[in-house]
Amino acid sequence: MNQTPEVQNPGAEVTPCWSCKGPVAGRALFCSTCGAIQGPGNLDHFTRLGLPRRFAVEQAELDRQYFGFQRRLHPDRFATRSPREKALSQVQATALNEAYNTLKDPLKRAAYLLRLSGRKVDVESAGTIDDPQLLMESMEMREALAEADSVEEVSRHLSEAEANIADSHKDLAAAFAADDLDEAGRLVTRLKYLGKLADEARQRRAKLAAMK
Amino acid sequence: MAYSDKVVDHYENPRNVGSFGKDEAGVGTGLVGAPACGDVMKLQIKVSPEGIIEDAKFKTFGCGSAIASSSLVTEWVKGKTLEEAAAIKNTEIAQHLALPPVKIHCSVLAEDAIKAAISDYKAKSGGKTEAAE
Repeated sequence: MNQTPEVQNPGAEVTPCWSCKGPVAGRALFCSTCGAIQGPGNLDHFTRLGLPRRFAVEQAELDRQYFGFQRRLHPDRFATRSPREKALSQVQATALNEAYNTLKDPLKRAAYLLRLSGRKVDVESAGTIDDPQLLMESMEMREALAEADSVEEVSRHLSEAEANIADSHKDLAAAFAADDLDEAGRLVTRLKYLGKLADEARQRRAKLAAMK
Repeated sequence: MAYSDKVVDHYENPRNVGSFGKDEAGVGTGLVGAPACGDVMKLQIKVSPEGIIEDAKFKTFGCGSAIASSSLVTEWVKGKTLEEAAAIKNTEIAQHLALPPVKIHCSVLAEDAIKAAISDYKAKSGGKTEAAE
């Protein structure tokens, strides 16, 4: 009769249901005894969406999981329930949206994974970086964009930025697969700068197009 | 969020925009970034053989506060010794420009940029100016 604590299994701890006091696993959305909706608990985003904790995520699977949970937790379904149940469906839906919005964006997903591994993530702190290679690259690309003065030229810079972003996503997947978190951290910062460059290029293109 | 008049002034009429050749004699270059905003800031100083900052230039891609902070620092460091320039605090920059709390990190970036430029200059000159004194 040896009971091992399941520390490796997030959301598996059992708490009493707020309504009937029956046992409810931390991950459960509803009480198996009385059927009442439960609170969102303290789950990581991957566990909340029923996905393995890793960088490689199929967008279709993520969407399927999200919409599946959303259907069951949507506040509209609880319109005729008690105020407590209405409130719980609200917080559940909010937690679900936060998990989905974090995991569907590769940059946010990567930063989140790094944070779960106890890493400091540059793009989330207000600190200064001085990586000369990254900053030099960034400065040169922003200068080139600032000098581009036709829609065509700006579009070329934008395509280049988008191609670099796609490459960085692949590199990120490889870095996480190899458990190289230093490299993953560097790539997250590079992605942030490339994203900024692409944003600036889109704005500049819109401005130039409007002047025509 | 409204920018202060001083920020707008530096943003619309930035002082000392440009570059020195990185390898020019007496030039120190500081290149720093704020990854949370995707800002990048280059601040360069030109130091006389006596160790006085004769000229300074900057190039910043970032928000108005980051541009104003670096523009202001290039004005402030001219005529200062390296030690005096290194003593510039971000709080002075933020206070002068009346930066709101969410933009304080832009002044920190400018302080980090001048410090980086000074250490680059010192590394390149191999401490020659100190030896000459």
